[in-house]
Amino acid sequence: MDLRVSMEIAAAGMRAQGTRIRVAAENVANANSTGETPNDMPYRRQVVTFRNLFDRALGANMVEVGRIADAPGEFARRFEPHHPSADAEGYVQYPNVNTIVESMDIREAQRSYEANLNVLESARQMMTSTLDILRR
Amino acid sequence: MDLGNLTLFQMIRRSVDYQAQRQSVIAENIANADTPDYRPRDLPSFAQVLADSPTGGNRLVPVRTHGDHISGKADGAPGAREHADVYEAAPSGNEVVLEQQLIALNETTMQHQLSMRLMDRHLNMVRTALGRGQ
Repeated sequence: MDLRVSMEIAAAGMRAQGTRIRVAAENVANANSTGETPNDMPYRRQVVTFRNLFDRALGANMVEVGRIADAPGEFARRFEPHHPSADAEGYVQYPNVNTIVESMDIREAQRSYEANLNVLESARQMMTSTLDILRR
Repeated sequence: MDLGNLTLFQMIRRSVDYQAQRQSVIAENIANADTPDYRPRDLPSFAQVLADSPTGGNRLVPVRTHGDHISGKADGAPGAREHADVYEAAPSGNEVVLEQQLIALNETTMQHQLSMRLMDRHLNMVRTALGRGQ
């Protein structure tokens, strides 16, 4: 049934957006995770990529999280000579996470999630109105 | 009497089928609203589908007159096509506009409700004919 397929697709979309929010939350939480010793690398920002996937059983284009990859980009360097991971010149490497970028990403994921929720709600409404005919 | 033989019920069935199919195409678009290089798709309008279908419009239907002719019938399901005119495309190559999709989604729900109301009204008429009306 097509309406059930719509619901499955919307659920796949919500799953994917949920993963995106999770990864963004990880980035924000680790925005200050430096290394422990001078040679340690700080946390590297993670990015989610989405992939279009044809589900043969449902015969529909689903979406899934393709890869959670490291984001390229320079680490920030701050002068903190007393920090345990400061190098010989007194600089500490900080993660390449920008919390403003992350919060925008979360907002966008939230918007997409809501759109999928709307699809679910509208499919449910259509199903209910069909079933209502039986009640009369 | 088979209710399915009444033209209005046949039309309602097709309309509801169409709305459900369109709904799942829109669901695909919205789920893929962040997939790189994804192009949104949509079904042709219901009027178009109806006119193109072998039994619905005033279209000629091929008849099998010889045993060696290719059997089977043309696929009745309307094919989903990619949008021809794109409103905007994200840098990732994604061309889904959420607002546009939500409007289309609303359209399907409204049309579905309309079909259901019509069905209800028509059923009432049948009931009246049976002598069970109010």
